[in-house]
Amino acid sequence: MTPLDFLYAAGAAWFAAGLAGLLFARTPAGLRACCALSGLGGAAAAAGGGWSLLYGNTALVSLGSATVTGGPLQLQATSLAGVFVALLGVVAVAIAWYAPRYHAPSSGTGLYLAAYNLALLSCLAVLAAGGMVTFLIAWETMSLACYLLILRHPRSVPVARGAFWFLVLSEAGFLLVVAAFVILSAKTGATSLPLIAARAASVDGGWRAAAYLLALIGFGFKAGLVPLHVWLPEAHPVAPADGSAFLSGVVVKLGVYGIALFAFRLAPLGGAWPGLVTMFGGAVTAAIGILYAMAERDIKRFLAYSTIENTGIIVTAFGAAMIFHSYGQLDLWAFLLIAGLYHVANHGCYKTLLFLEAGVTEHATGTRDMDRLGGLVHRLPRSAVIAFVGTLGIAALPPLNGFVSEWLIFQGLFQGFRTGSHLTGILIVLAAGTLGLTGGLAIYAFVRGFGIPYLGMPRTRPAAAASEAAQPVIGPGLLAVACVALAVGAPVVLSALSRVAHTVTGVTLGPLLLPGKLTVIPAHTDFSAFSPTYLAVFLVCALAVPVLIYVAGRPRAKSVTVPVWDGGIVSFRPRMQYSAMTFSAPTRVTFDALYRPSVSVSRASDDDPAGRSGPVHYEAQVTPVFQRYLYRPAVRALEWLADLVRPVQSGDVNLYLLYVFIVILLAYLLGAV
Amino acid sequence: MTLWFIRGLRRGVVTTRYPGRPDGSARYLPTPPAFRPQALTRQAADEVAAICPSGALHRDGSVLVYDVGACTSCGRCAAQAPDAVTASGEFELATTDRSALIKKIPIRGEAP
Amino acid sequence: MAEDARTVERAAELRADIARQFGRSLHIRTLDTGSCAVCEQEIRLLTAPHYDLHRLGFFFTPAPRHADLLLVTGPMIRAFAVAARKTYDAMPGPKVVVATGACALGGVYPADPFTYGTVDAVLPVDVWIPGCPPSPLALLHGLGVAVGRLAEKVRDLPFTAADYPERSRGDS
Repeated sequence: MTPLDFLYAAGAAWFAAGLAGLLFARTPAGLRACCALSGLGGAAAAAGGGWSLLYGNTALVSLGSATVTGGPLQLQATSLAGVFVALLGVVAVAIAWYAPRYHAPSSGTGLYLAAYNLALLSCLAVLAAGGMVTFLIAWETMSLACYLLILRHPRSVPVARGAFWFLVLSEAGFLLVVAAFVILSAKTGATSLPLIAARAASVDGGWRAAAYLLALIGFGFKAGLVPLHVWLPEAHPVAPADGSAFLSGVVVKLGVYGIALFAFRLAPLGGAWPGLVTMFGGAVTAAIGILYAMAERDIKRFLAYSTIENTGIIVTAFGAAMIFHSYGQLDLWAFLLIAGLYHVANHGCYKTLLFLEAGVTEHATGTRDMDRLGGLVHRLPRSAVIAFVGTLGIAALPPLNGFVSEWLIFQGLFQGFRTGSHLTGILIVLAAGTLGLTGGLAIYAFVRGFGIPYLGMPRTRPAAAASEAAQPVIGPGLLAVACVALAVGAPVVLSALSRVAHTVTGVTLGPLLLPGKLTVIPAHTDFSAFSPTYLAVFLVCALAVPVLIYVAGRPRAKSVTVPVWDGGIVSFRPRMQYSAMTFSAPTRVTFDALYRPSVSVSRASDDDPAGRSGPVHYEAQVTPVFQRYLYRPAVRALEWLADLVRPVQSGDVNLYLLYVFIVILLAYLLGAV
Repeated sequence: MTLWFIRGLRRGVVTTRYPGRPDGSARYLPTPPAFRPQALTRQAADEVAAICPSGALHRDGSVLVYDVGACTSCGRCAAQAPDAVTASGEFELATTDRSALIKKIPIRGEAP
Repeated sequence: MAEDARTVERAAELRADIARQFGRSLHIRTLDTGSCAVCEQEIRLLTAPHYDLHRLGFFFTPAPRHADLLLVTGPMIRAFAVAARKTYDAMPGPKVVVATGACALGGVYPADPFTYGTVDAVLPVDVWIPGCPPSPLALLHGLGVAVGRLAEKVRDLPFTAADYPERSRGDS
């Protein structure tokens, strides 16, 4: 028995769940059955993925005949993919618990769940693919299934547009991925991934670099590297909450998996420059992602931009790992791979959680606009606590999991001086500085992302009337538990991930990384050490200190309860609170070169010189730089080209007959030669 | 800047030592009036009560009632009846009891 | 009168408390309840080099949450009563209210539909500082009285000229 057997079970369960969703989701019982099957599949995938971390790579399995799919179905459970498979499983379980309460039973829901389970299945196939053809077919199926999943309400224009952005950029990326695989396959003469990996060393460096760069850009479309990220903020808000949770938690990670697959397994490169390109792509992505997140009022768009930021952090770690590899620092190579994979798992957990909670908020209040929410902590207390755990995690604050992985990544980047090259060292530290800016802004952004909707007073009547009854709790709660486990159980996670690193890189890092039971020595013995577990315990104890002081000091100090100090205003209104946009105004001013904000103020009484009363209309907008200056010219060029070739297709039957004649003639001529 | 610095050195510390020691500038302050009962006739009392802009003075039978708290130290009473009214020079008037600020000045020849 | 006696007793306790707890660091929140701003100018002068309020351990704070002493100027217009009350409520105890200037003491404006005419109508005043405006020295004295570090002697002042030497300064 191998981990692959678990993956078969998961795949079968998801296939059955998809069928059940298609056929029976019109009834509540059918909906629950479908989600239960999906959850079982998730559990099997989590078990299989977790096991394959320790098991190592399984043997390649070929199913079917060569004629059906253009090659046999080749499957392999690898350690590298195991991290992603386990994450996929956990996310699937959480969503399976969440979905029956989120979706109303209907035929539309049935179609959606079928697409969702197909997407799960194809994601699993991507991760378990042992051959190039299998990988590409699974990848394309996954893209199409996600497209259908985003199109849950296809009649609305924003939904159609968001889904279209996703599809177009996915296909563009797919073409590049195909090209990358074709280059490697042609140069190694193999189609199975283990064989390509084994023979890659013999391929000419230029071809390998070309394949890697194509893959980086191709998978970058899916992973959301700037400037290839534009589909995330368009597609995430329009998909159902669990759909966008799945997109952010898993599908984006598949892009990261693709980059890791090429960077560490298929085409490891010699020079430092591919690593530098990757690292700076990641660092710029991280900074721009979080900066745009600050300018968003829509919770889901905000979270989508934050996903871009986190992908950037992961890719930065991978890029730095490649640099260290090229300088022969194999320990740091493996270490940064571990740190990046750790962040993959962490981000998958807390971002899925936050998207699920965004769905709860939307269902309870009918809006995703932060400036129309507020005070939800009193109305949705359980959701608020769960969202708070996720927020602490994503803001990388101890003792939650985001802190552990980001800290490890920083520790790795600070070793830049060990490359021996001053320039490279400085560049790595520059990337670390960019990540530092990102981390600070992320705390700022998530103080806003949690504080504006959950704290304060409700800004609108629907927000005031929100109720937690019938809202899903267990699914996101499970992820909150996973977040805490990933933080407190950091030594366990790290020892598992060091097995992965051993399988992928051949470097044994375990004893170096974890000398004691609970202490972690990242990167280098004379640099730093800490224990996430002790830190978590200490912080919880430190939190208890003020409580103890309060309890002990209570009999002596008489406490008086008075209203919140509001500046002495006669009646404090919700609209006088800090809004999401005012909260982020300092960044919008500081970084206005990036945002290019446009503000228009008009007063109803502008024509009346005497009166200054009446409503004031204020509008502030952030220019979508990439859409306007990158994609719009590209689309225009494409349309211009299409106009050029239009005469070819004039609708004249005679002309078409001429084409047929010419083609046949050419075929004969070529055949004759 | 240099001149300013030298001047500072020459003049020394300008900060007052009050309340540890008396402050020299206190005598330039406008202060509430003090009354000479010998010169305060009923006519003078009525005049100053009529001219007081803040209603700090009024005659109650045989005494002139003077509310120091309401006094703005404008000096009109002193101008009206220079014989009977003069500046007190008193500025340490803060109190925890409002009624301590209300003084009764006997009028000449009518003292009970 | 019984109430007055109790108020006086309470004020004495309060001052003892303040003197004990805030003898060297007392934070002041100023509150303008409709003053003509001359009192504010004098208060601002307290931070000038000549008076240098901070040498005595007094500091101004913008938040009543951090304040121990409320320095009130102006005749307490009715529109401001809620804000004044809220400010007072927001201050942590022990706290002291100082009415500053003739307006606040009820001298200049009689009660009418727009003003109470005196701070006492809204807030429990502990210390009264007369003057229009009270000079910075008078304010320093008042703050000293408020923290119980200076004795008050107003009750004994007769305001009859026999007790005051003739001044050289020319009001004549």
